[in-house]
Amino acid sequence: MATGPLRFRTPHIEELPITQSRQAPGFAWVAVAAPPEDPAKNWGTANRKRARANVGGQTETQKEALSARQQREVERKIKELNSDNSKDVQIPIPKKEGGGGGAARAGKTTNTKKILASGKTFAHYLDDEEAEIARTGRRDGEAEVVPVAIQQQRASKTPYARRKAREESSMSASPVPTTGGSAPMRAGDPMEIDAGEDGDADASMPSAAEIETLLNLPPLTYNQARSAPPPSNAPPPRRFCEVCGYFGRAKCMKCGAMTCSVMCKDTHDEQRCLKFYA
Amino acid sequence: MARKQSLAKPLTGPDNLPQQTLVVDNGAHTIKAGFSSTSFDDSEPKPEDCQVIANCIARSTRDKRTYVGPELLDECWDFGELAFRRPVEKGFVVNWEGEKAIWERSFVDERAKLKCNPHETNLVLTESPNAPAALQRNADEMVFEEFEFASYYRTTAPTLNSYGPSPFPSTSDSAPGVPLGCLLVVDVGHSHTTITPLYHGRPFHSACRRLEIGGKTLTNRMKEVLSRTVEVQKEDWIVQEIKEDVGFISQSFSSDLERVWKGGLKDPREIDTSIVVDYVLPDYEAVKRGFARPHDPTISRKQRALGLDGGPREHIVTIGNERFTVPELLFTPSDIGMQQAGLPGTILQSIYSLPENLWQLFLANILVVGGSSKFAGFTERLESELRSRVSEDYIVRVAQAKDPLKNVWLGGARLAQNEAVLKEHVVTRQEYLEHGDLWTRRRFAGKVGR
Repeated sequence: MATGPLRFRTPHIEELPITQSRQAPGFAWVAVAAPPEDPAKNWGTANRKRARANVGGQTETQKEALSARQQREVERKIKELNSDNSKDVQIPIPKKEGGGGGAARAGKTTNTKKILASGKTFAHYLDDEEAEIARTGRRDGEAEVVPVAIQQQRASKTPYARRKAREESSMSASPVPTTGGSAPMRAGDPMEIDAGEDGDADASMPSAAEIETLLNLPPLTYNQARSAPPPSNAPPPRRFCEVCGYFGRAKCMKCGAMTCSVMCKDTHDEQRCLKFYA
Repeated sequence: MARKQSLAKPLTGPDNLPQQTLVVDNGAHTIKAGFSSTSFDDSEPKPEDCQVIANCIARSTRDKRTYVGPELLDECWDFGELAFRRPVEKGFVVNWEGEKAIWERSFVDERAKLKCNPHETNLVLTESPNAPAALQRNADEMVFEEFEFASYYRTTAPTLNSYGPSPFPSTSDSAPGVPLGCLLVVDVGHSHTTITPLYHGRPFHSACRRLEIGGKTLTNRMKEVLSRTVEVQKEDWIVQEIKEDVGFISQSFSSDLERVWKGGLKDPREIDTSIVVDYVLPDYEAVKRGFARPHDPTISRKQRALGLDGGPREHIVTIGNERFTVPELLFTPSDIGMQQAGLPGTILQSIYSLPENLWQLFLANILVVGGSSKFAGFTERLESELRSRVSEDYIVRVAQAKDPLKNVWLGGARLAQNEAVLKEHVVTRQEYLEHGDLWTRRRFAGKVGR
């Protein structure tokens, strides 16, 4: 491989190692080290347009920052789409006719009093549970079950505590469960291999014991159960015209929204493109 | 074994369960609830026995009234600008203060259609899969300590489907309380879509998956895209009706989108009027319920709204590609940038995480339930996409439940008819008080016997 950076970003051109030191007539990619930039000498002969574009946010880090910002924007929007309650509205529970509602609403026991007075949202419960798993390595209510699972999967010599810690670090992103990473899947793995190799005798069904083991695996956590992203060879996401919903064909230079036609582009410029300075 | 122990400790065994069971499918959008009883063994539970109760507290800005639970569908007639408070968040009961008000109005109040005495009633309650344990504990404590039901069985909603009527014509219905052998339940709910492979009524926990697109995502998305032409951001209920009335799943997305494109600046093309509709919005005076009619390009929306063009005064919104681009999110979440595989991809993720020789069983027994699966063309699209993704050697069979909304309830009602099965599953209030909440939770998870 060449030592210097190649200037081409085409992924399909691969540079093959060449054994000969001297080139035969033909064609080969040669890495050329760029001459050191000397801004004093560069006063007009280079491509100014390109240089300007480079300044305006097209370096790798700037591009990443931009896409991270877009990604945050998309996430915010999805969160909004998945919100349950009406926005900015507080709806109190109406008092019962005939009074006496106050005492009854407070709860009959200490437990229920606590539950009824709790202002926690789902995100709080989820964070609590993730923190609990990270701290103790197991979920509440699985006190004696998980250690059994550890006994079974002891074939891997990684200490359980360390392994668990590594898993939790990737907890926030959605994991690809088939490639392992969650404890239940690990426990299932050796069995899958068994079924594939000596399953000839009863190829149609795994044995009852195997199914029983599978059925007894503990439930995944909320985050583990989330659908994994599509494989990397899936088609790229479609973009749609922001004005009419048809396939987006042109990107607004200012704000990055897509439009499909000149008409929609005009509407976009007049009404929607809120970003006046790019 | 269970029998022996209950003989040894007669107080703890559920020897005298009440006959009546309240089956509650506690959905994020609606509660599906009704009674079942061990005393009428021979009569099949009917969908009519199940009440659909709005699981929300709604506040109307028009008549300044707050509607709790069943009051919304029974007493409210003006759904304009309703604001909602939903106690169920992401499919789990989070706000028990609100849920308690709704339950009390539905099951305890004198006006309630499903009034019952909890001390003489068993409860079968559903939850979403993969619940955080703290929320399960809250539910258990509320049921036993606040409502004081005699006995209680909490299970995931998809599980009950395997006790429901058989969705496939080739398989006959099982007896009440006997689960179907193999079922992959695709539950397209209000909050999300869950995939649960069930084997004789028990889930393969490691293969449960969740796609975070549900009915509310679609409603909110519909609100967003319709607001390009008419401001409907505050009209949750009306937009939901629009979604239910005109939404469909396109069998060939790009060609349908092509058909309703108006074209560019000088493009002479005509839009295909078989898809485009005019939706007349309800004003709750002359029009009580919105309806769709074929698109009439001669009507000017603004003039008609003011009653200037001679026709009746009405508010119209023209709906074209929104009819299918919104439900399309279920199949292509990447359209809004969501980093999750679509419904067919998620189903395959679930199936492929099981041993290979189980794949065929589940591919051939896919059951679609849930309110958002009622879009026209849903089953066909799902089947054809799955077909194109798996090897030809596999048989792919997708069926929709006869009543996608109430199938879970039907399953629960059938389970509750069989006293032996019910006894096997429930925890009585006495047991709860004796063994505590951790034991109860582990018992519902199938970890401890009695």
